[in-house]
Amino acid sequence: MAYVRAIATLALTLVGLLLVTFSFSALSPVDPALQLVGDHASKASYEKARHDLGLDQPWPVQFERYVVRLAHGDLGTSRSTGQPVSDDLKRVFPATFELATLSMIVAALVGVGLGVLAAWRPSGALDSVIRILSLVGNSVPVFWLGLLALMLFYARLQWVGGPGRLDDAYEYTIDMPTGLVLVDAWRSGVQGALGSAIAHLVLPVLVLASNAVGQVTRLTRAAMIGEAGKEYVTLARAKGAGEARILVSHILPNITGVLVIVLALTYASLLEGAVLTETVFAWPGLGRYLTTALFAGDTPAILGGTLLIGCCFVFINRLADLLARTLDPRIR
Amino acid sequence: MLAHAASPPDILVVVQSLDDIVSLDPGAAFELSSIQVCASVYDRLVRPDRTQPSILRPELAASWQIGADGHSLDFELTPGARFAGGHPVRPEDVVFSLGRAVKLNLPAAVTLNALGWNADNIGRYLLKVDTRHVRISWPQEVGPIFALSVLAAPVASIVDAVEVQQHESGGDAGNRWLSSHSAGSGPFKIRRYIPHEALVLDANPLAPGGAPLLKTIVLRNVADAATRRLLVEVGDADIARDLGPDQIAALQGKRGVKTLRWPSAATHYLILNTANPANPALKNPAVWEAARWLIDYEGIANKLLQGQFQVHQAMLPTGFPGALNTTPYHLDVAKARSILAAAGLGAGVTIKLDVFNQPPFIDIAQSMQATFAQGGINLQLIPTEAAQVYARMRSRQEEAAWLYWIPDYFDANSTAAAFASNGENGTHNVAWRAGWEIPELSAQTKAAVEARDPETRNRLYLAIQQVVQANSPFVFAFQERTELVMRDRVQGYSQGLEPDMAYYDRVTK
Repeated sequence: MAYVRAIATLALTLVGLLLVTFSFSALSPVDPALQLVGDHASKASYEKARHDLGLDQPWPVQFERYVVRLAHGDLGTSRSTGQPVSDDLKRVFPATFELATLSMIVAALVGVGLGVLAAWRPSGALDSVIRILSLVGNSVPVFWLGLLALMLFYARLQWVGGPGRLDDAYEYTIDMPTGLVLVDAWRSGVQGALGSAIAHLVLPVLVLASNAVGQVTRLTRAAMIGEAGKEYVTLARAKGAGEARILVSHILPNITGVLVIVLALTYASLLEGAVLTETVFAWPGLGRYLTTALFAGDTPAILGGTLLIGCCFVFINRLADLLARTLDPRIR
Repeated sequence: MLAHAASPPDILVVVQSLDDIVSLDPGAAFELSSIQVCASVYDRLVRPDRTQPSILRPELAASWQIGADGHSLDFELTPGARFAGGHPVRPEDVVFSLGRAVKLNLPAAVTLNALGWNADNIGRYLLKVDTRHVRISWPQEVGPIFALSVLAAPVASIVDAVEVQQHESGGDAGNRWLSSHSAGSGPFKIRRYIPHEALVLDANPLAPGGAPLLKTIVLRNVADAATRRLLVEVGDADIARDLGPDQIAALQGKRGVKTLRWPSAATHYLILNTANPANPALKNPAVWEAARWLIDYEGIANKLLQGQFQVHQAMLPTGFPGALNTTPYHLDVAKARSILAAAGLGAGVTIKLDVFNQPPFIDIAQSMQATFAQGGINLQLIPTEAAQVYARMRSRQEEAAWLYWIPDYFDANSTAAAFASNGENGTHNVAWRAGWEIPELSAQTKAAVEARDPETRNRLYLAIQQVVQANSPFVFAFQERTELVMRDRVQGYSQGLEPDMAYYDRVTK
């Protein structure tokens, strides 16, 4: 019964998401037919394009047609790439997934670590420094930080690879069956390919993680300090436990439920919010795909991408709920 | 760890925006990037000369003869020419290629439609004569010079009919397959196309014009101009396209890079909509005249845009046959004021100006706003997404707009038919969008396209341009320059006026 309810909730959520996205697409000033035929097209060509795209129908009819096709597993054809949307998503999603996942790992390790350190001596010097750093991390625009990092570490110092996923010697020559550059470079067996992939990943991962680190740090710190006033902490301290032991062995396990939720929300936002990082680093992911589709009035691509992000969001949240319940008996 | 920063020696890496590509089928390609690519992948019967584009050179046609009726051309195909896949180039391929482009009836077909061809009649006008000859005729009252110009356009590229027919699906004439694959005889062939990411071209050793000098070209989609600048500066890219004036300036004097400039066919102009009832002043030729004296041509071209534009005040771009190259107007606020005062508009005029919400359009519009205000015209800028500006113009809702124009093919008629002819109610016709009623000028434009003698055509187009320059609701102001930054080691690249005149086959590095 619980599964049926979960599936029904998921379906309703996704239909609602599609409806909202479709409505916004319909309200967009971008005319998909004009985008397709170009400004020099005759009136007849323009009207034909509108008819072929179904734009001469009322938008509820257009939406119904889309949902019916979707129910048959057809996401439609992208107007800006000319390819099936499902093929496009299979190509671009792994790039974003890899970038967001690695950024998430960095953000979790650094953010939780800094949050614990900050909670060690609240309002102390270390806490102040960490709070300022996390505020900066949260506030600095990713676009600016990305360009600055490229100019310093790529253009000037040449410590890391530049924009793109691989050096040109490897890119477009090795097969990418999984779409994950680390995996495919490693499996290719081509000497130097894996090193090139790592060199190209370092900057975008760190830049994307920088924003998330600030968020995770602040929430971890708040949860740790909130927990520090509990009686079991006082008891542990009375029994002579050291501060480090109290923080790591007593408090941290008790905030794992909160941490899982925080990390899940952060991960979901990284998956959907990598647009600027992908633009600066010429990273061919879902964010760039959706941005291009939006400017082209490419409704099938916009809906397909939104649907995928929606599914990820719902899946990650459900997984986080399950994990939190498993890890924290208090919320079962 | 030290990252290696240099593109491989046998691969040319070009960074640019490829986001506009919808299809690489030459029968469908109508975007700047796809047209540019098709030019390297496909040959045509004839093509403009690289350095003197007004002269047409044989490509897949070894020679041609004008039919006695003046409405047909007999082509002899180049002996021994082969497609990249190995099939010989036959008259059947010519018939198939032109026929499919017309029947697909996609936006690019508008160029071929100028010959009077449509999906129903095209079969009557393409004829295989024998194994080496093909006859092409047309019903439209246009001369053979114009017909040759149309056949030199990208949409008239010749595809390998055998190869394409093997990939037909659902009667699409191979359109879906060709959108990401190639079947041409040009110097390169498509190895791999990843939409919004990259296009990889390999050398075609069978190219009738000779194999290219480099093995591979990688066109990488890098949407952000600042990132493109870094890539070429470091050496990971060999050529960077579409950099802004600031980025170009920042690269001046840097070791290892050079900036090259060529005139482009893109012109920028002001359109005043005389058919907008909300602003009757726009019908007044005094407003048109005053506007001509209120643009800071030199300041915008040389200071604001740092030479990426040149002053050009006629309809046809410099480099086109028959182009008018006079620049009689300059910024003269006092003169504009006196013109408006003489017309009873001394109290001032207010005009809403639609403009694309991106550089350089918005920068130019802001400069104009300042100088127009000095002259007594209050320009109210409406920065808008490009597609929305075009949509408003197609329904004649705009008062005025700042726009650019690129001819569809290398012939004066492509531009003249849009700006100096208003014989039909066509939303695509720029004169119609301006509400400019010009029966006499329309007749002159028709006579020019029908003329068979090049000198006569040029003379007619000069006269038409003089009218548009002096007394029309269009103010042509600038012609773009194509600016490329490339590594010093790159040699042999050449670029013509039109987007399809990007030549990579003689590049070395």
